Amino acid sequence: MSGGDSRLLGRLLDWLEERAGWSFLVDLGKKKQVPLHRHSLWYYLGGMTLFLFILQVVTGILLLLYYRASAEEAFESVQFIMTKVPFGWLIRSIHSWSANLLVFVLFVHMFSVFFMKAYRKPRELTWLSGMALLFLMLGFGFSGYLLPWNKLAFFATQVGTDMAGVLPVVGHFALRFLRGGEQVTGGTLTRFYGFHVAVLPALTTALLGLHLLLVQKHGMSVPPSIAAEHKPGGEAPKSMSFWPHFLLRDAIGWCAALGVLAALAALFPWELGEKADPFSPAPAGIRPEWYFAWMFQTLKYLPAHILGIEGELLGILGVGVAALVWVLVPFLDRSPAPGNRVSRLFTLAGWLALAFMAVMTVIVYLPQGH
Amino acid sequence: MSPAPEQPSRRGFLNWFLGTSMGAMFLSVAYPVARYISPPDVPEAQTSRVVAAREGDLKPNSGKIFRFGSLPGLLVRTGDGEYKAFAATCTHLNCTVQYKDDTRQIWCACHNGVFDLQGHNVSGPPPRPLEEYVVNVVDGEIVVSRS
Amino acid sequence: MRLLKLAPALVLIVLMSFITPSLRAEEPPAKPAGPLPNETSCFNCHSQLDGAALEPTKLAAEDIHFQKGLSCHDCHGGDPTAIDDMDASHNPKKGWIGKPDRLHIPEFCAKCHSDATFMKRFDPRARVDQLSEYRTSVHGQKNAKGDGEVAVCVDCHQVHGIRAISDPRSPVYPTNVAETCAHCHADPKKMDPYNVPTNQFTEYKTSVHFHAIQEEGDLAAPTCNDCHGSHGATPPGVESVTSVCGTCHPREATLFRETEAKKKMDLSPCIRCMVCHSNHAILSPNDEMLGVGKDSTCTGCHAEGDSGYAAAAKMAQSIEALKGSLAQATSLLDRAERAGMEVSEDRFALQKAKDGLVESRVLAHSFDLERFLAAANGGIAAANAGVAAAKKAFAELRYRRVGLGLSLLVILAVILALAMKVKELGARPPA
Repeated sequence: MSGGDSRLLGRLLDWLEERAGWSFLVDLGKKKQVPLHRHSLWYYLGGMTLFLFILQVVTGILLLLYYRASAEEAFESVQFIMTKVPFGWLIRSIHSWSANLLVFVLFVHMFSVFFMKAYRKPRELTWLSGMALLFLMLGFGFSGYLLPWNKLAFFATQVGTDMAGVLPVVGHFALRFLRGGEQVTGGTLTRFYGFHVAVLPALTTALLGLHLLLVQKHGMSVPPSIAAEHKPGGEAPKSMSFWPHFLLRDAIGWCAALGVLAALAALFPWELGEKADPFSPAPAGIRPEWYFAWMFQTLKYLPAHILGIEGELLGILGVGVAALVWVLVPFLDRSPAPGNRVSRLFTLAGWLALAFMAVMTVIVYLPQGH
Repeated sequence: MSPAPEQPSRRGFLNWFLGTSMGAMFLSVAYPVARYISPPDVPEAQTSRVVAAREGDLKPNSGKIFRFGSLPGLLVRTGDGEYKAFAATCTHLNCTVQYKDDTRQIWCACHNGVFDLQGHNVSGPPPRPLEEYVVNVVDGEIVVSRS
Repeated sequence: MRLLKLAPALVLIVLMSFITPSLRAEEPPAKPAGPLPNETSCFNCHSQLDGAALEPTKLAAEDIHFQKGLSCHDCHGGDPTAIDDMDASHNPKKGWIGKPDRLHIPEFCAKCHSDATFMKRFDPRARVDQLSEYRTSVHGQKNAKGDGEVAVCVDCHQVHGIRAISDPRSPVYPTNVAETCAHCHADPKKMDPYNVPTNQFTEYKTSVHFHAIQEEGDLAAPTCNDCHGSHGATPPGVESVTSVCGTCHPREATLFRETEAKKKMDLSPCIRCMVCHSNHAILSPNDEMLGVGKDSTCTGCHAEGDSGYAAAAKMAQSIEALKGSLAQATSLLDRAERAGMEVSEDRFALQKAKDGLVESRVLAHSFDLERFLAAANGGIAAANAGVAAAKKAFAELRYRRVGLGLSLLVILAVILALAMKVKELGARPPA
């Protein structure tokens, strides 16, 4: 150990220990074991998602020092951030790129948890809180997209909230609740801002806290196929301690992510486009952000009417039912043993869902202008 | 079991390297954030209001071009000392207009368009009046904003 | 004694004679001096005839004369009260003229229209010099010599159903004038005997003035009578073309005069506006008209070797340089803005370049190379400043990339350090 600096650091840490007892956290970290096996790489995704979320919170807080949430000023304030505030371009581009990266990593995390069947008992609540967090993150994405108040976002929001209006019974109320009225207006912008910086963060804090506590409580789950390889009485399964081994590796990933985001922000700055004009007609090729694109494309393929019911409605209900099954999977696939028929069925269903979403997403971006 | 002699110095070097590089990374994050948080030269976007001049800059019966967003504006101090401001883009072919102190009118040099001090197009080719802005004098500054 | 008894009755009668006038029924107002326009014997009879005799009555409702209270007899004479009696109505002793012959129509209308006292009853601002103006025109001169084919009042204003000139349906309302003139002037059968060309209307229809009146409804734009006169219709002489065009285009006209004064030269061969701009087919001017190219109007008179040719070439070159620089600056600034750079201040400065472009184009009419170049060079300088500003913006972008490169190096160093630490910790036995 090198000389004076670390002794000073050590004295500071001791002082804190006597008063806050912080070292229990390190003990927790040292005790926590991360199983080592051929699928261990997927364990990093949860932490990566968390890192990106924290990055969003930090850059988001910085942005709200200059952003204004009214139809008259929103676009100009983002332009101001991009051009007049020192490094504003960096903060804003990182926030926009990281939002997309966050959703992507989140989906990978969810699918990896699904395929590794980490939702089984006793981790059902972890899965449910995770699904709730997914919907919250999608809500962050949808509400945040409107905030620059540019043409693309304005019409994407119009289309998206129109979808909400198609739901039976609650549709019209949902549409009015989201839009703050019948149309997308400055009132919608203010409302979305409230959701984006207050409502959703509050809900996320609560659910994220629960999610992390549960993960700590139950430890890392091992996929059934791997668990079956270790017969009781045989050699102990390999693992590494969370602190410092796993965390250091986590940190490498986070630094890499930071580097990628910095490069994206500097080389491909996020465009601002043109200010929204509610009175001009919608430009051609309006579509929602990529993570909603698969739904958008699916709805486009459905015929206008199926058995007398509106195609759009059936599409949305269909997606809703599928999502419900997905959310309830811990209660539908309970068997701890691998190779079980129900278990294999769900794995297959998961692959089909993933393939479907991927293909639909790609189609949206094909040059034929679908 | 004592560690080999090279290991402590290698470990020491590694710890130093780790500490220093993390410090450098922390600085490369903290510097932009610090610059970002400190107020920029202009506190807010200047699209809806702008300081066109200071009191005393303009003599009565004179005019001055100022910038409003990305378009020119014309600040006129009338013979009575009152301030008036207009969009300075001629409504004919977008030349920049000017104030003429002899005729006390706003004139466009390109095709002889003439506007009065209400912004109305009174002579020549301009088909529409000039947009008039709201002027307020605040703390010795002439502040022009859109109506 | 009996008189005393009658006293109350007398008092009552006296009192009543004061009160009763107001109680007496209202007398109807006095009838107008003559019969109402459509109650004359003329109208009465002719409305029951057919063919050409019926026409005047059908058009009466739109006729301004009828609307002002005048009727058939006010122009044609006769007795309007002789209902159902044609001979009495058509009585020459009562002033009946009947249908006037074509040659004498100008005097016929001028009976009233040249009488200031009479006209003032209906419109205090009405002009009364139409006949004297007409006599200065080609139409009027020929008519005076006995030519019955040339235009007289009714050819433009119609005979019956004469609408006010402010009525958009009138043949002499600005939007209709050209077509009215073209009735004769575009007809070779009518114009050939006089050796007058007939292409004016076709040419005029291609012009910006026609477009302005017809499509944009801009009544300030000229039609035939604005340059040729309404009643005193005469093609403007060579010396007056500049003044005629200059009534609406004063800046260009002033520029000629300024150069003539400054350079003490006579610009008359150049300044008949129609030499470059045509007289009827006045199209939107473009930059190709300036210079020595194939569409140039300068080369019509100037040939290679003379100073005018050289000046024109230089002007064209200057304009092209300005346009090129301006286009380059605009596109570079657009690119920079899309990449996230602040360029509104630079766009503002670029406005000066646009001003310079518009002003130089106008200054071409001064035929003064120095003056032209002063404006054009000012514009070029502003445009070049815009290009420089855009390049500065790109330099800032490059600075960002350098900054990125450095921070990536730092991050790479951290990753390397972490990886080495991981490896080192892995070598040690687990804690």
